[in-house]
Amino acid sequence: MISYERFTLENGLRILVHEDRSTPLAAMNILYDAGSRDEDPEATGMAHLFEHLMFGGTASIPEFDKHLLMAGGENNAFTNTDITDYYITLPAENIETAFWLESDRMNLLDFSQKNLDIQKNVVIEEYNQRYLNQPYGDTMLIMRPLAYKVHPYRWPTIGMDISHIRNINLEKVRNFFFSHYAPNNAILTMTGNISKDRAIDLSKKWFGNIEKRNVRPRILPAEPEQKEGRILTVERDVPVDALYKVWHTGPRAGNDFYTLDLITDLLAGGESGRLHTKLVRQKKLFSEINAYITSDIDPGLIILHGKLMKGVDIHHAEESVMNVIDELKQKYAVSTEMEKVRNKYESSNVFASTSILNKAINLSFYDLIGNTDLINSEVELYRKIDRTMVMEAALRYFDPTNCSTLYYKSARKS
Amino acid sequence: MTRIPPSQPPSISVSLGKIREAAAFRLDNSIPVYIIEAGSEDVMHIDFTFGAGQAAEYIPLLASATNMMLTEGSLNYTSSKLNKILDFHGAFYNLYAEKDRAGIAIFFLNRHIEKILELAREILFQPVFPDTELKALMKKRLRWYLVNRDKVNNLAMDQFFESIFGKHHPYGRQVVQDDFQNLDPAILKDFHSKYYTPAKLAIIVSGKIRKDIVILLNRFFGEMSSNGITPSESGNVIKSEDRKQVHVEKKGAVQTAIRIGSSSINKLHPDYPGLKVADVVLGGYFNSRLMKNIREEKGLTYGIYSVITSLIISGFKVISTEVSKKSTQKAIDEIYKEIQLLQNVPVEKEELEIVRNYMLGEMIRMFDGPFALAESFRSVWEFGLDNEYYYRLARKIKTIEPDEITDMAKTYYNIDDMYQITAG
Repeated sequence: MISYERFTLENGLRILVHEDRSTPLAAMNILYDAGSRDEDPEATGMAHLFEHLMFGGTASIPEFDKHLLMAGGENNAFTNTDITDYYITLPAENIETAFWLESDRMNLLDFSQKNLDIQKNVVIEEYNQRYLNQPYGDTMLIMRPLAYKVHPYRWPTIGMDISHIRNINLEKVRNFFFSHYAPNNAILTMTGNISKDRAIDLSKKWFGNIEKRNVRPRILPAEPEQKEGRILTVERDVPVDALYKVWHTGPRAGNDFYTLDLITDLLAGGESGRLHTKLVRQKKLFSEINAYITSDIDPGLIILHGKLMKGVDIHHAEESVMNVIDELKQKYAVSTEMEKVRNKYESSNVFASTSILNKAINLSFYDLIGNTDLINSEVELYRKIDRTMVMEAALRYFDPTNCSTLYYKSARKS
Repeated sequence: MTRIPPSQPPSISVSLGKIREAAAFRLDNSIPVYIIEAGSEDVMHIDFTFGAGQAAEYIPLLASATNMMLTEGSLNYTSSKLNKILDFHGAFYNLYAEKDRAGIAIFFLNRHIEKILELAREILFQPVFPDTELKALMKKRLRWYLVNRDKVNNLAMDQFFESIFGKHHPYGRQVVQDDFQNLDPAILKDFHSKYYTPAKLAIIVSGKIRKDIVILLNRFFGEMSSNGITPSESGNVIKSEDRKQVHVEKKGAVQTAIRIGSSSINKLHPDYPGLKVADVVLGGYFNSRLMKNIREEKGLTYGIYSVITSLIISGFKVISTEVSKKSTQKAIDEIYKEIQLLQNVPVEKEELEIVRNYMLGEMIRMFDGPFALAESFRSVWEFGLDNEYYYRLARKIKTIEPDEITDMAKTYYNIDDMYQITAG
């Protein structure tokens, strides 16, 4: 049981505190409700580039990292389709340094052309390193526009194209800041060796004076229902063929999320998952295969991907995958198997709660999706899923018309 | 947006408190057990660790194949049964075969401990190495290998180890495709009988420890006796390659991976803590000189890091980065420039203060929570050291003077000794 307190400052900043006296450290997480779905389709990659710029200093504190390091702290950040999240861990007695730094950069960034130019280059090298110079690295660059035609999830968080990143200018950066970085668009979470009272006092002191801002209302086009299956074949200079299949799901806060998550565990959780057992071990069609659900706030995807063994026909491999999936629609999962995936969820949940940083990030996200108490109640939600819910969800979502398939073929003659 | 920024809050200088000690026991048959009690959740982590890493192998892949085959079938369980039971109990396990050590580490909920211990004994001491499973595993691993060898960072790192440790030592030897066909169950059984013995086992337990832990461990592991086989000392000798610069060609690569470094002293050497500080200044944290210069000032890379690592009979230090092909030489020149600066110009007071506090903060994180404690324990225990090493490191971090850092850089970053590997 993770106990927490929640309150809101007058300027709209939401604050969460979870006290854990077993550690000398404290964690501070600040989640901004802005991700790549909030980008202009002509300037994709903005949210993530902005995350880089947040470390470029302000007029009053030109070097962000220096002071944090001096206080024994460590920090990082990530951006995804929905949020940008910044986190710090440091010795608890120095927590005020984190307040000083985070409130300062929420208040106003120093937008310099030089910093922008350098971080654009850094991000372009990140694009090269992670997406272009890795075998299969461009998969999601291809899959997203195949699965989404309208919704901003059609582009990846890093950006649709390097040219978008190149073309971002200071004005766009400024606009993005003032329309998304605001106390009333953020959630501040403290965990670890800090009391509720101290957290409240410090939050008021450091964040209380930042004015509310006009956050750009989020009006996103809904992805229309997919009416027929989509198939794409690409050839690349990679060593082995790979198969990717994705299906649209519901929203993160919807009823089916947990059922679908549990389904992907039946399929691909651990060595005893169905896909691994049947297609890697028994039939030896794949060298590896995995399936998972994205945690996107708007309707997301189930993503299944596998790499083929030598000489295996990709269509035969796909048919075998579909046989495993169809079984979910035809036969109830036996109770021991259901129990297995629930147990596995429970223990991964317990392991996650051994880290104050994990707890801070999760609390912030659950609060954003409107149900902070999921930090404690999710295990129960998994426990409640029964075999009929599994079959119904499989029938509903694993429909061929709801699916996009990518044949990622090796151009090499073996 | 007119807000007068409140002034900087004071921060106290960071210091490492007392490190929680591991309690040491021996089972009835004298298997050593180390217990690290911490944490509030009802979970435990047990690391069953053997000196069965690559250093011991007599042919390529032997250590990792033997390790991975442990869960592929035992006297009483098929591999699918083993995995089903482990998954059913919500356990997560990690089979590992590193350069020096190999074993299995298991995370589980405390209430399942008896089943987990029973399976661990089965996995570690009763594996049967079925031929069909071995063949399937090696075919699968060959496919993983092919994908991995398509990444410039792996090409560069594999070549780096070969260059600094030599083609013939297991630390340096590169795996080739044929190696995946050269293993059979008999060789694995032989390796297993020599290196996975109760006499070579140590058990490191961390988490919220059950009171009956020693009784339980004795029940499952305390009665076994070793087979008496003592492997002969391996005749493997480390001999660096003569060629200091090697380029591995990768057609169509967008970026070039760079590795610059050499073999090095390890934790047992008195200079190690000082060298560690010098290494952090150079490239061991986000604000390091290499990061500032090559990423934050020139935008040439997404990241550049320097690390120094201890191995039982050696060690290495390496600077790693990936840069666009056209910037390769520029990045390399800047790396050497930074090394020379570190050798010739004493570190400024403020920079040194930052490094001291960052490193001490890291040390606090290294001992935060049961699993971090266990990892930190293992990484000194395997060298025959104890927490005194960490106290010594913390003292060095607090007291090192700029001159000592330049000395370390001159002694251990001699540019003529450096290997320069590129892949792309």
